Order: sequence, then C-alpha cells, then structure tokens
Amino acid sequence: MTTSTPLFLAQSSVLRVLDPDSPNARSIFDLGVISAIILGAIFVIVAALVVYSLMRFRWREGESEPDQVAGNTKVEITWTAIPCLIVIALFALTARTMSLSDPPPAPEPDLIVTGHRWWWEASYPHAGITVANEFHIPAGKPFSLRLESSDVLHEFWVPELARKITAVPGHPNSIWLEADKPGTYLGICSEFCGTQHAWMHFLIVVDSPADFAAWEKAQQKTAVTPATPLAIHGLALFREKTCVSCHAVDGLGMAKEGPNLTHFASRQQLGAGVVDNTAENIQRWLADPQSIKPGCLMPDFHLGDHDVSALTAYLETLR
Amino acid sequence: MTTAQFILSGWTWNPVTVGLVALALVFYPIVFRDRRRFGWFLAAMVILLLTLLSPLNTLADGYLFSAHMTQHIVLLLVVPGMLMLSLPQQLSLARGPRFLAIPFVGWLAGVGAMWFWHEPSLCNAAVASRPIHALQTISLLVLGSLFWRQILAPRDNERLSPPAAVLYLFSACVTCSILGIIITFSPVTVCSIYTVPPTDALGLLPTIRDRWAISPERDQQIGGLLMWVPMCLIYLAAIFAQIARWFAHARQLVPAKTS
Amino acid sequence: MSPNVSAHPHSVAIAAEAEPERGMLSWVTTVDHKRIGILYMLTSLVFFVVGGIEALFIRLQLAVPNSTFVGPDTYNMLFTMHGTTMIFLVAMPMLFGLANYVLPLQIGARDMAFPRLNAFSFWLVPFGGVLLHFSYFSGGAPSMGWFAYAPLSELPYSSQAGVDYWALSLLVLGIGSVATGINLIVTVLTQRAPNMTLRRLPLFSWMMFVNSFILILALPVLNAGLAMLLIDRQLGAGFFLPSAGGSAIMWQHIFWAFGHPEVYIVALPAFGILSEVIPVFSRKPIFGYEFVAGSTVAIAFLSLLVWAHHMFTLGLGHTVELFFVASSLLIAIPTGVKVLNWSATLYGGRIKLDTPMLFCIAALVQFLLAGLTGVSHAVAALDWQTKNSYYLVAHFHFVFVGLIVFAILGAVHYWFPKTTGRMMSEKLGKWSFWLMTIGFNLTFIIQHFLGLAGMPRRIYTYPDLPGWGWMNMVSTVGAFFMGAASLVFVWNLWISRRKGRIAGDNPWHAWTLEWATSSPPPVENFNFLPPIRSRRPLWDFANPDRPDPVVGTKWKMETSSPEKNHASVVAFIFSETGFFAVLILAYLYYTAKPGSGPSGHDLDLLKTGLFSVCLFASSFTIWRAEVSQHHGRNHAMIAWLALTIVLGGIFIVGQGLEYWGLFESGVRVNSNLFSTAFFTLTGFHGLHVCAGLIALLVLLGLACAGDFKNGHAPGLKAIGLYWHFVDVVWILVFSVVYLLPHLR
Repeated sequence: MTTSTPLFLAQSSVLRVLDPDSPNARSIFDLGVISAIILGAIFVIVAALVVYSLMRFRWREGESEPDQVAGNTKVEITWTAIPCLIVIALFALTARTMSLSDPPPAPEPDLIVTGHRWWWEASYPHAGITVANEFHIPAGKPFSLRLESSDVLHEFWVPELARKITAVPGHPNSIWLEADKPGTYLGICSEFCGTQHAWMHFLIVVDSPADFAAWEKAQQKTAVTPATPLAIHGLALFREKTCVSCHAVDGLGMAKEGPNLTHFASRQQLGAGVVDNTAENIQRWLADPQSIKPGCLMPDFHLGDHDVSALTAYLETLR
Repeated sequence: MTTAQFILSGWTWNPVTVGLVALALVFYPIVFRDRRRFGWFLAAMVILLLTLLSPLNTLADGYLFSAHMTQHIVLLLVVPGMLMLSLPQQLSLARGPRFLAIPFVGWLAGVGAMWFWHEPSLCNAAVASRPIHALQTISLLVLGSLFWRQILAPRDNERLSPPAAVLYLFSACVTCSILGIIITFSPVTVCSIYTVPPTDALGLLPTIRDRWAISPERDQQIGGLLMWVPMCLIYLAAIFAQIARWFAHARQLVPAKTS
Repeated sequence: MSPNVSAHPHSVAIAAEAEPERGMLSWVTTVDHKRIGILYMLTSLVFFVVGGIEALFIRLQLAVPNSTFVGPDTYNMLFTMHGTTMIFLVAMPMLFGLANYVLPLQIGARDMAFPRLNAFSFWLVPFGGVLLHFSYFSGGAPSMGWFAYAPLSELPYSSQAGVDYWALSLLVLGIGSVATGINLIVTVLTQRAPNMTLRRLPLFSWMMFVNSFILILALPVLNAGLAMLLIDRQLGAGFFLPSAGGSAIMWQHIFWAFGHPEVYIVALPAFGILSEVIPVFSRKPIFGYEFVAGSTVAIAFLSLLVWAHHMFTLGLGHTVELFFVASSLLIAIPTGVKVLNWSATLYGGRIKLDTPMLFCIAALVQFLLAGLTGVSHAVAALDWQTKNSYYLVAHFHFVFVGLIVFAILGAVHYWFPKTTGRMMSEKLGKWSFWLMTIGFNLTFIIQHFLGLAGMPRRIYTYPDLPGWGWMNMVSTVGAFFMGAASLVFVWNLWISRRKGRIAGDNPWHAWTLEWATSSPPPVENFNFLPPIRSRRPLWDFANPDRPDPVVGTKWKMETSSPEKNHASVVAFIFSETGFFAVLILAYLYYTAKPGSGPSGHDLDLLKTGLFSVCLFASSFTIWRAEVSQHHGRNHAMIAWLALTIVLGGIFIVGQGLEYWGLFESGVRVNSNLFSTAFFTLTGFHGLHVCAGLIALLVLLGLACAGDFKNGHAPGLKAIGLYWHFVDVVWILVFSVVYLLPHLR
C-alpha cells in the first residue's frame, strides 16, 4: 500500500484541538485554558516542594536522624480545604461550559450521520440527499446533527468544530455542528470499531451560504447518464457485477451497505480517507480494494483490466 | 406561575407539623437537664420545618420526583442524624427493646426505608393519600433514628466500633446506590404519579417543563442520581467522621515509657 | 535480633525449625506465602516481557506514517493483548505477589490465612495466561480492545474465538483475584501478631487490606459481565446486541463499574509502596499517617462511584454526566492529600537516593502529572475533546507506568534483599532507573501533544498529518529506552541473585516487622518478634530513648480477631452480592419494557412458590443443625443436616421441572431478552444452590464419620452462613422474577 500526503491537506484544517473554529469548540477551549492554568500551577508548586526537599534535605554520612515529625493536623486541613475549593470552582465552570458547548438538540435534525464499518453516511432530511464521507455545511449556521450507527460503536470527532460524540447503535445522539468561516475540516472516528478503524476519516466542507445552496442543488440532481461507450459499458457492469446490491446510485437501487455513489466523482477522497479520489486510485481500488484498505467489507471482484477501466469511466461521470 | 412567584407562594402551612415541632422544642429543655446539645435539636427542627413546609414540599407533592427524593433523603438521613446528636451525652439508649440495639436491625431500618417506600405502588400511594404520606414521614424519621443510633448514640460504648461502623455505612451506601442505579437507568417510570400530576392547582407545570426543562424522564434520572451520588456522600462524610474518631483516639495518649 | 525481645507466641508450637524444602517440585507444591509471592512475581515478569514486546511492536508500527510493518488485524490483536496482559497478567499478579510476600511479614504472621487457597489462586494466573495466549493458535488473538466494547465484541462483528478465550481467561483470573482478595482480608483480620492492631498496620498492609475490599466487590461485577457476554456469544443471546434488543451501553456500565475500581486496585498497592519507601529513605515517619490511611478509604469508596466518567462521550445526558463530574472531581481530593503527604515526608528529612527511593520519587512526580491530567478528564467538557485521543493514552500510561510500574520497580529493589538475602547492584539499578525515566517521559509526554493534535487511539496507521510523524518517532525511540531499561533490570535481578552483596536482616534500617527477621526469612517467618506498641516497632527498638508515641487500643475489634472460616465466608458473601446485584439489575433492566414472546407472566407462581418454601425452610433446618451441634447432639445434627439437603434437593428438582416445562413450550435462552435474563439469573442461583448442596453433603459425610463430636465445627457455621445467603438471594430473585409481574 502506498499513499502520499493527501491533497486536501493544502487548504484544510486537520484535527487541531487547540485551534477552535466554532463557538461551541471555543467554549471548551476556554475552559481548557483555565484548567491548564489551575492544574499547571498545582504541578509547579508541588513539584517545587519535592525538588526543594531533594536539594536541601540530603543525607550526609555521620549526621543523626532528623526530627521525627509525624504530621500536622492544621496543615492537613489546609491542604484538604484548598483542593475542595478548586473542585467546587472547576465543577461550576464545567457545568457552565457543558451547557454552552452542547445545547439541547433541535426537535428535527438538519443532518443525520450514520457510522458504518468503515465509512460515514450523511443524509440531509430537508434536501432529501444522501452523501458519504464528505459533508457540506454552511458557515455561520448551527446544524443540528443526529448521530446513529448501523453496526458497532463509532465516534464522530472534528476537534475544531464540536465536542466528540459516540455513535451508538440503538441510541441516537445529537450535537450541534457549526463553523465560523468557510474551509475544509478533517474529521476522524475516535472509538475503536474494528479492523479499519484507522481509515474512517471524513471531511466537513464549510461553504458560504450561497455555495452551500449550490452544492445542495447539485447533489439533488439525479445521477448523470453516461455518454461515452466505455462509461455505458461501466454502467452495465455496475448492474451486472452486483455493485448495485451494496451501493446506491440514484435510480439504481436503494442499498445502504456501501457508500451512496450518486455524486461519487464530486468527492475528494476514496475509502474514507485512505487515498485521494483520482482515476488511478479508483482503478487500483476496483482491481483489489483489499490491497488499499485491508479488511474493508468490499470484496475483491477479480475484475479484468477492461472492466476496471469501464467502471472507472462510469464512476468518473458521477459528478 | 414564574419561578420567583413560586418561591414566594409555594409555602405550605401545616398546623399539625408546626404544633408538633413547637411542642418538641418546649419539651426538650424539660425532659433533658443537660442542654448543651440543644443547638443540634434546634437545627434539626428548623431543617425539618423547611423540608416539610417550604416550596420543596409543594414540588414533592405530585410535581417532581426529584424533590420527593430530596425530602426523603433529608428525612431519613439528615434530620434523624441531627436528632441523635442532640441527645445529652450521658443518655443511655439501652433501656428500649433489646432487638433495637442489634446493628443489623438498624442497618435494615435505614436501608429498608429506602427500598420499601420506592416500591412503585407505595411511592404513588404516599403522594396520593394524606394519611399514607404522614405515615411515610414519621416512619422515615423513626427508621432513620434507628439507623443512626448505631453510629451516633450519645454513649460511646453503645456505638459500633469505628471499623465496624465504616463497614456498616459502606454496605448501606452500596445497597442504596443499587436502588439509585435502578431508578436512574430504569426505562420505565418508578413513581408514575409524577409523570402526570393529578392536579396542577398552582399552574406550575408549564414552568417546570419548559423553563426548568425538567421532563418526567429527566426528573426520575435526577431523583435516582440524588440517591446514588449525594446520598453516598452523606455516608462518606459519616465514614470520615468514624475514621477521624478512630485515629484521633491514638493521639490522645502519652508516649509510653521506654523499655 | 537482640535477645531482649519477647518470644513470638506462635513459635512455641514449632519447637523444631521447619527446613525449607528443595528442588523444583517443591516450588510447584508449595503453599508457603513467600514462595507463592515469588512465583507470582516471576510469572508477572514473564508476561511483562510478552506485553512489553507487544508494546514495542505497536510503537514500531506507529513510528512512521502509512507504515505497513504489521497489518491492521495484527495491530488490533497486539494492542488488545498488550492491554489485557499488562493489566491482568502483569500488574495484578505483581501486586498480589508483593502482597503475598510482604503483607504476612509486615503484620507478623506465619503465613496467609488460607495457604492452599493461596496456591490455588496463584496457579490460576499462569493457567488464565496460557488460556488467553492459546487464542493465537486458534484463529487469532482477541482484537476488540481490552475493554471489549459491545457490540464489536459480539459474534456478528468478532466471529473468531479470540473473544471467547479472552472472556474465559478473564473469568479464571477474576475468580483467582477474588480468592486472593478474600485471603488478604482474612489474613489481616485473623493472622496479625498480638499487639499488631489494625491502627498499627504499616501503610502497605493497610492499603492492601482496604484494596482487597474493592477487589472482592469489583471483580464479581466483571465476572457477571463476562458470563453475560459468553452467554451472548455461545448461546446466541443478545444482552449487549442492539439488533436483538440488547443494550451496548449496558456493557460499558458493567465493564466500567469494574474497570474504574480496577484502576485503584492496581494503584492503591503502588500508593502503599510509596508510603513505605519514601519515609525509610527520608529517615522520617510518614507525614500524617492518619490522613494517608483515611484518604485510602475515601479513594476506595469513591472509586466505586465514579465509573460513568469513562462514558462522557456516550450521550448519557448532561444530568447524569454532571453527577459523575462531581464525584470524579472529588476523588482528586484524597489523592491530592496523599501526594502532599509524601512530599511533606521528604521535607525536613535526610534523603538517601538509593535506587528504590529514586524510583519512588519519580513515581511521585509522574503521578502528580497523571493525577492532574486525570482531573481534566473528570471535567466532562474537556473530556469531550480529549477522550479516546493520545492525550488519554498518555494519561493512563502515566498512571500505569509512571506510577505503578515505577513503584513496583522501587518495591522490587527495596524488598529484593529480604527475598534473597542479597543486595541488588546500585550501579545497574541507577542505569535502569535513568534509562527508564528518560525513556518513559520521552515516550509519553509527547503523546499528550499528539492527542491535542488530534490523533485518536487504536489506529494502526495514520496519514502524514502535520506533527504526527516526528512526535510518533520520538515516542517510539523512548519506548526502546524503556526496553533497554527493562533488560538492565532483569540482568540486575539475575546477577544480584547470585553475586550481590550480602544484605543482612535490615539493610535499609527500616522500621516495619519484615526487617526484624532474617533475609530470607525462615519458613515460619519469625523466631522472635520485637514488642509492638507503635507503627514503627524497629524504630522503637533501635531508639529506646525517643520511641514513637504509643498507638493505643480501645475497641475490642482492634485486638480480637474473628474466626477465619467465618470471616472468609462473610467476605465471600460480600463478593457474591456484587455478582448477583449485576444479574438482578440486568434482569430488571431487560424486562422493564414488555416485549413479544415469553414474559414473567408465563411463569408458574404457585408451583415455584411451593418449591421456594422448601428452600426457605432449609434455612431453618440448618440453623437447627447448628444449634444441635452446639449442644453436642450429634444425631439430631445429622438429621437436621439431612433434612436440609432434602429440602434443598426438592428446590433444585422443582427448578429443573420448571426449566423442563419452559423448554417443552419452546422457551430457549435466546428466545428473547426475558428468557435470556431469566435463565441467566435463576441458572446462576441454581448453580450456587448446587454448590451449597455439595458442601452440605461433604459436611454430612464428616458428621457421620464423627468429625464434629468434639464440639468444634467451624465448617458448619461457615456453610450455614453461605446457605442463608443463597436463600436470601432467592428471596430477592423470587420477588423480582415471580412476584413483581403480578404487582404491576
């Protein structure tokens, strides 16, 4: 398996906990700064006590045993009381940050994300579209996101934009997703979910409201009908080789086992982040998906070179 | 009704309760010559009155399970504990029936009161019926006193030894936590009367559901968690007191002569 | 020892010195706590090498981006086995080994309370370890992570047998650990030397004592969960399988209700080690013994109350989360008190920086950092970012390695002279210390920043994201420093065992009783004991001009000790309560909502009620048997015992008939959640009744043979207690399973 640096890196933000780009993530970051100052101060004070004692009170040959001080109740009470106060303060700050960074969900979600082994499905109930591994949201508008899982536990994490939350089968969770400004954000599955847990990335593309509307419109279009003979052959193969029993393309079945491919060619990445979505990589993937993402649920169909080219040509048309 | 209005007007006036408390306050100095611990008694009575007459009681009366739980904990653990502490130092409790002095009876009284009154039908009945409610209040105070007597009896020799007391409190806490866990995570309602209060005379329900954002499910969760976590912290505080009692004893002694 | 000490009362009984047995076989058959302790530690060392090699493979794989050194499946097995091995086969056996060796010596005992049970618990460790590793040869090691989150650990998502081996081996180890916990509690309660009151216990023994209580409460919770997981996997049930109506969250509750106390189960002994070593090498008593001892109780108590902080990203709701933020933050207070007391012990001392002390000081400072990053996980809002990232990995390795492994290394250097009679090489010790400290901090400090750069845990590879490559490389380099340190350490053990300087009884001039006997101690531990009036008997002995203040005795419970069989059954009942509590809670949870198929209403209340009356009556009959025995009426006792067995037998037959009827009407374990929970709960109770019946039959046999004629029958009392417990559990089960549906 050979992978180069992903293309999207050039213009996107990658998993920076310390660089929040949304009000929700920022309130967590602020609490982090306060906690770091408090906890850091405690560390410095206690460590200094230890280091001072180590330097000052060393044993020297011939000296008698030191004073056998066995404790001091006043001191004990003091250093129990001070942490109590710190704990109360931290608790209050935590309660506040929790409600700031994770408000109650909207009654109806704007976006439903479902974790699968090992990719993400996202559907927009209002626009009636379903995409995979790459979701767009408009800048500046909070999106109520509902998170589900079709199999095992997964975890949805885009550090710059929101808290992380687990996708639990049978127990839908909700968070708010919001971004201050347009850009691309890498997201990642952070709960271990089996063989290919490592390659369960996703991209969140934050558009300006106008761009977002355009994107939604484009995604609402039905799949392009192929025009070149090679691509037409590819479409036939897509039906024939049972691709369609796992992958939906608008008008060709409703299967949800694999990513929806209606607008496959508009995505930047392939295999939930494992390689960039280029013609060459699609061919490699079709020839043997297991060599690129070992253990993924797409079997090796042992396609001939010509079939691979035809399917690639077809998939490339799905803009 | 807004929150502020409610806090002002949610007080109940119960002449029987007030009368009994007043009577108790009058009789304490008459019965006991030693009045050094009267402060504990006064505090216990003030807390008792606050629990039974304040808006908390109004909330517990059909609106909020969590308010009921708060009342329950105060009546079972806080007030009886303070009552025990208010008894004069030399008073012996050994005169009562012998079986009341058995530690396991005390333990069962404290833990049993928790479990018994949260059996769903009894929990509902105690809200729906006045006499049962009164019975519940009195039984909690009595059973709580039985529980604490093992720990806080005025005479040291009538208390459990500190290590035994720690086990006594710890096991009681675990047993009550289990009930708290059941209530917190139960997918069904434990005390169904709180889901739809029979009458909303005060017009408080919209405030509770919308402004305080306490749905019946959340209410039950808070109730269970109150029993689980804060109640355990009461036991923990008592455990600390026992450890302090144990170790403090060592320090009073003078160093022995050298051998 | 000087002649001016009082004779140990036990030693009267053994006029002739017992000679240690020799040869390999004697090690296999030994029941001597010292040898078992050493066996535990050696087993732990073997698995430490295994787990360490797994760790090095993990770090090699992660050293560079897009690495193909090992594949995803291998990687997942490696980290699962690394975690499981290090916790269950390294940390716990090591600490049990230390406790086994040191605790009886510290309290002036001749052996553990139950030496044969002790040997049994030990042999379960290698057995469990082999069982776990056998999975490598049967289709692959488990690869679902050491906490086996459902539903990934369920059959549809992990079809290979690795998970089953994992669950079985943890069950085996769990049973051994509970037995060890009971043994340690009873040892402290009943085997202490006269005058070694509870309040005079050295802190290591005190903490092991308190620790054993969490051990016997928390391990059964895991055992219940493992049993449920195995029922899911082997019998097709769906406790934790959402697609069958089960709950994935339930597994996490059960696992962490065990898992969080488990952290303290391995941390408290480490605290105990620090509390022994730091005073001795500061030449001062521990600062605030009472507060260190008391905070231990607080930690033990709170540790059972905070598990849900492992589940802050699961969506339990802010209400639940806030309560657990509060309780988790609270645990920082007693922990902080400990750290401050150790630091204050250093202050004003005469610090000697020998190897044991070096390791313990490093452990202290590293644990300070671990505790503080721990606070940031208790703060739920921060946990929402850092959970499951390398920040978390760094945090818990700071606890498990920074504190626990360092404390263990300190302990080994500290007690090695006692165990072997020879000193470990200081030169090699300092080498291993510095290599370890540099390697450890190199490996794990950087991982905090990796986590803040967004690297999640348990990924087998990663793209070349900014900073990830070099930080991972630093971490890998550090890991190899730790590997080198371990090699030096093992070499030091080996060479010092053969060529080390002769140690003498008390090379560190320490003050607790283990240093009052020879190194290594004789088979029966002590020939003489110094007088015990305070917590530092050997200080008093060496400094008669300025002894420690006498620690008084006041309560009967401090000086007297309970009967040991009795105490052990009470402790056992304590632990069984945890097991049944989980099963009953699970039953209530899974049957709360009416589903289709069989339900509690289909059970025959009347018939089972009748059989139950038999069981309840048997509690009365066994009590009569005890009374008869007490009055020396042997025949009456035999009759009552036989009647008890008959009544218990009727109950079991009744249960069998009920099962048969249900099977006839097509109800299977996997029919629905009700039937799964029903068969699990009543089945485990039935197993306990059967075990009780077997014990009663043995008693009956002994009674018929005339064993109890001398008026001494502790076994009868103990088994009677167990039998009452089984009945009480049935009262609960009967109310919940049979009565409750009719009340609703």
